[in-house]
Amino acid sequence: MTTTTSKRIVIDPVSRIEGHAKISIYLDSAGQVSDAEFHVVEFRGFEKFCEGRPYSEMPGITSRICGICPVSHMLASAKAGDAIMAVAVPPAADKLRRLMNLGQIIQSHALSFFQLSGPDLLLGWDAAPSKRNVFGLIAADPELARAAIRLRQFGQEVIEELGGKKIHPAWAVPGGVRAPLTEEGRARIRKWLPEAFATAERGLGLSEKVLETHKAEALIFGNFPSLFMGLVSPDGTWEHHGGKLRFTDSSGSVIADQVEPARYRDYIAESVQDSSYLKSPYFKALGMPGGMYRVGPLARLNICERMGVPLATAQLRAFKQMGRGAVTSSFLYHHARLIEILASIELIERALDDPDLFSSDLRADAGVNSLHGVGASEAPRGTLFHDYTVDRYGILTKVNLIVATGHNNLAMNRTVAQIARHYVRGDDIPEAVLNRIEHGIRCYDPCLSCSTHAAGQMPMRIRLVGPAGEVIREVTRG
Amino acid sequence: MDDALLVIGFGNSLRSDDGVGPRVADAVGRLRLPGVRTIARIQLTPELADPISRARAVVFVDAAVDQAEPTLMHRLDPFDHSHILAHSADPRFLLALARDAFGTAPEAWLLTVRAEDLGFGERLSPAAKRGLRAAVREVLSLHRDLDGRGDLQPPFVAAAARMVRPLIHVRA
Repeated sequence: MTTTTSKRIVIDPVSRIEGHAKISIYLDSAGQVSDAEFHVVEFRGFEKFCEGRPYSEMPGITSRICGICPVSHMLASAKAGDAIMAVAVPPAADKLRRLMNLGQIIQSHALSFFQLSGPDLLLGWDAAPSKRNVFGLIAADPELARAAIRLRQFGQEVIEELGGKKIHPAWAVPGGVRAPLTEEGRARIRKWLPEAFATAERGLGLSEKVLETHKAEALIFGNFPSLFMGLVSPDGTWEHHGGKLRFTDSSGSVIADQVEPARYRDYIAESVQDSSYLKSPYFKALGMPGGMYRVGPLARLNICERMGVPLATAQLRAFKQMGRGAVTSSFLYHHARLIEILASIELIERALDDPDLFSSDLRADAGVNSLHGVGASEAPRGTLFHDYTVDRYGILTKVNLIVATGHNNLAMNRTVAQIARHYVRGDDIPEAVLNRIEHGIRCYDPCLSCSTHAAGQMPMRIRLVGPAGEVIREVTRG
Repeated sequence: MDDALLVIGFGNSLRSDDGVGPRVADAVGRLRLPGVRTIARIQLTPELADPISRARAVVFVDAAVDQAEPTLMHRLDPFDHSHILAHSADPRFLLALARDAFGTAPEAWLLTVRAEDLGFGERLSPAAKRGLRAAVREVLSLHRDLDGRGDLQPPFVAAAARMVRPLIHVRA
């Protein structure tokens, strides 16, 4: 639905993002875009209502925050539980958790690139909304659309082989996991690999063409210096579940390394905006706005030195040539996702030969040995922290969740402002410009229901605000 | 064709009667009917289009708060609306996706089961328990109808007939 009055343009909703949000674009006295804000205006409050529950229930509860990355919440929560029990999980459990997280990365990234962003990238910004969707994509390239759906299916199958359910598996627990992989499950996963590799390679080829045809977008869609944060292994290899935190700047220099995730508060502070339920974390030492950082595929590839597997490492080398120091354009999140899909498939292939995946030694047992525990894991969209405080009976007294969309909040604001500055002229926001602004947000693949704990679908609005704070135009689309 | 009849139950098992769809799928699955595959999900996702396209017929089972009858069976046609939710999809969208991406959309039905209580919890209300039993009978009836039309292989029906008695004792 589009409504236009003399004073307002409203876009409701921005489609194909997870959850809902509102964008305000601020104009200065010369009518030029001076700033933009991405607001999340609904509230879900998981942190509060988890208080009073046993920490052991948290992997099951928090995995219900989101239908897209339940595995990420389950794993970060289980790791926070490991810390409260003060145990090292058995090696087999760690390997199995990793295997499931790789499946999660594949299914989420495949959805993001092919089904959510694909229509924009392959059909064009100006394609009719009735065509710029997954059915338009099928009409344009049915074989690709089919392969993309099946790639996501592969990721989901990996999750199901381990957890018994594709969505919200109650499998990882504090201290380990409930069940190993079966021989039959390994055979089924292995059977998928050739097709998964082929689709990943095809996606990378497609993405390279998109980068050729979207050079302008790569310069405008969130192209600015920032810090980058994520987990890396001790030798700087790409990580997704273990490892420690590394921060780099836009020149590629490491500014903090091998930071224990439990010490994240020494490095990250969170500001709160009145206009949004989404908190805005920043690198403490640099304050606001210099401490703005990005997480997720772009950040993970910027901070690491190798992927740990050959095909993806070759892709990483080429990727790093796309920037000076770090790759600073958020438009490159798409390409980074495909490299991570390839790495995940390679790592799954390698993992399947490990006999530990069938071990029965899967769970360390202990009571409450620490009243505070932090779990960190790389969700598809970026670093996820679960920070729990419990009493001596293991009942939660405080919960803090920092999710990827929160980490990226400041960068998303800046991305919208950059796109708006380039395309918005006066108080008119044509459809093609709205699509570009939407896509700027979609580069981050934000999951707003997760980051704000918001329930249901939230409307999306773009407001054009004049220098005196007056709303000049508001656009709603739905 | 992989399956003669695919039964997909969807809903949230932690929201009381909303979980009746997956329970119907599980109950049918326990009967181990030849040619019948069951899938229980909290929500419908795009990749289900692949198994849907490989079935001869599909029944989606969902809870419904706006019906007085224990169960209602609705015929479904593909609907390729442009609005796609990444978290979830509706049955008609999945049928359209199966048709357009995988070449076939099977005959399909939505079987709704009366729901009274959608609060937090894992128990079904008495109405939903009755609906669950009725829904399993509906699925079996559909199975017989499909066979009557020659859509199923003969052994399926014989096996199904033998399994009718345990249905009466299906656990809610």
